[in-house]
Amino acid sequence: MTTKRDIVLQVEDLQTTFFTRAGEFKAVGGISFYVREGETFGLVGESACGKTVTGLSLLRLLPEPAGRIVGGKITLDGIDILKLSKKQMREVRGKRISMILQDPMTSLNPVYTVGDQIGESVRLHQGLRDDMVEDEVISALRLLRIPAPEQRLRDYPFQLSGGMRQRVVGSIAMSCRPRLLIADEPTTALDATIQAQYIALFKDIQKQTDVAIIFITHDFGVVANICDRVAVMYAGKIVETASTSTIFKRSKHPYTSALIRSVPRLDRKDDQLYSIEGQPPSLLNLPPGCRFAPRCPDVMDICLKEQPPVVEISEGHSVSCWKEKK
Amino acid sequence: MLSTMPNIDTKLKLKISGLTRSARIMRAMTFYIPVIILVLLVLTAIFAPWLAPHDPIKVSLLERRLPPAFVEGGSMKYLLGTDSLGRDILSRAIYGARISLSVSLLVIAATAFVGTALGIAAGYLGGRTEAFLMRFTDISMAFPGLVLAMLLSVSIGPGFFTVVLALSILGWAPYARLIRGETLRLRNSDFVAQARINGASAWRIMLIHIFPNVINPLIIVMTMAVGFMILAEAALSYLGIGIPPPDPSWGSMVADGRGDIDRAWWISTFPGILIALVVLSGNFFGDWLRDKMDPRLRQL
Repeated sequence: MTTKRDIVLQVEDLQTTFFTRAGEFKAVGGISFYVREGETFGLVGESACGKTVTGLSLLRLLPEPAGRIVGGKITLDGIDILKLSKKQMREVRGKRISMILQDPMTSLNPVYTVGDQIGESVRLHQGLRDDMVEDEVISALRLLRIPAPEQRLRDYPFQLSGGMRQRVVGSIAMSCRPRLLIADEPTTALDATIQAQYIALFKDIQKQTDVAIIFITHDFGVVANICDRVAVMYAGKIVETASTSTIFKRSKHPYTSALIRSVPRLDRKDDQLYSIEGQPPSLLNLPPGCRFAPRCPDVMDICLKEQPPVVEISEGHSVSCWKEKK
Repeated sequence: MLSTMPNIDTKLKLKISGLTRSARIMRAMTFYIPVIILVLLVLTAIFAPWLAPHDPIKVSLLERRLPPAFVEGGSMKYLLGTDSLGRDILSRAIYGARISLSVSLLVIAATAFVGTALGIAAGYLGGRTEAFLMRFTDISMAFPGLVLAMLLSVSIGPGFFTVVLALSILGWAPYARLIRGETLRLRNSDFVAQARINGASAWRIMLIHIFPNVINPLIIVMTMAVGFMILAEAALSYLGIGIPPPDPSWGSMVADGRGDIDRAWWISTFPGILIALVVLSGNFFGDWLRDKMDPRLRQL
């Protein structure tokens, strides 16, 4: 990555809150990142840290009326997404930004054929005649390397295996050649060998189409395989952003290091798997200081009182930790 | 492990063919007999003018209260006898099938349409739309049906379409409830989320993605309503707020024979038997279809 490519998506200080009877859940508490053309950006963190909500915020598909974007700016190819009308936003979805959900077994409509479902997106966004729609559908199936696409497009979802279904879901997402693809744990429901195939496939598709990918996952193994850069999220905040190799070799945030240490490894003989003590804070009742402070091994006085600033310690590597501020 | 496998196999087999011969015959009977009756009903309704031996509304005062052919004093001319105005009961019953069937089919089509539309809208849109629609449904279900039917009959006059209108106004609520429930389940499904991600509008999602997925339970409830609607039409006609005379409706035929039940039992009895047979067949067929199509609804 010597030449810098165009920035496809720029997110600045995005804040998403769920207004519920129990109170305000600050699911995303002001995060900033960008994704370049042809780049895969990983969004890593444990369950309920705001990864999926971030993804849904980018599509403006938060569960209404509870979920709302309360602050920040999302720019896609220079367009401020939060200022678009509902109708304009529908044109963005599926055409410029698309998303793959976690479970391929449930994300296809059981009553339509594969071809109909891929065709829906094509029809919605490109206004093509029926015979041309079929060509587009076949080319989308080819892109995901689905064998015998002419036959597969007449299959119903129940006739396909899990891995094949996830490829079909991928075909739907890629059918209009979007600029940005949000992949929300697309490999979690697949077994290890299919997972590896799927990731290799996506790397290949990215080469062909230059799509920017946001890869949401909790699995550092997957991150190492596919991501160019990674942001680690904790309790609705990004604690560290860096290139993948930097994250693995020179991570600065104690949470990142702890997370990487808790991945089981075959090349080391550990008696016990490392785990982080305690629980993430409740999003209803966030501590005034650093959100990781109560569980942090290197906690200092200031950590408990004030939120840490984002410090850029080298190019493309920023950390939100008081340790680095000094 | 392996040695236990054949055991499981035989147990399974036993379970599948566990029904005795007579139980299996019974089960087949509860399917075939109702189906045959319903098919005959439909054919009778369609070919009524060719099947009926007499004009169903032609009065023949000289031949009043003639008993059926198989009773002493009856003649082959009137197989099921005549009523108090000398009209042929068989012909009236044959034409009555037309009324029963067309009323129930029209009502079912109207109620299913309205109920499904409101149910999907309430379930998918949620919020205030849902609150309003579901309270509206509750009110509709709490409304005394007979009072409404009488009101309509008085205000716009009795007739075929008054009956259809009254039963339609009364009948849509269960569909709305059922379909709303199904929609709630589907609304949160991944494929609906995926459709939203692809840029589909709310209209499109309701029509293209949710509707086809509620057709199964819809068809089941529609089938089970056939018997109920035939019974409801008969009840209204019996009370004199249904199909007005002289058109033959099974319900009004039963009512006609009320005063003669001691001397001419056949006037009320034959249409009564027909109502019971057809309603039972409709219900049996509905049950069978439900078990076949949707095991989830079995406890309803």
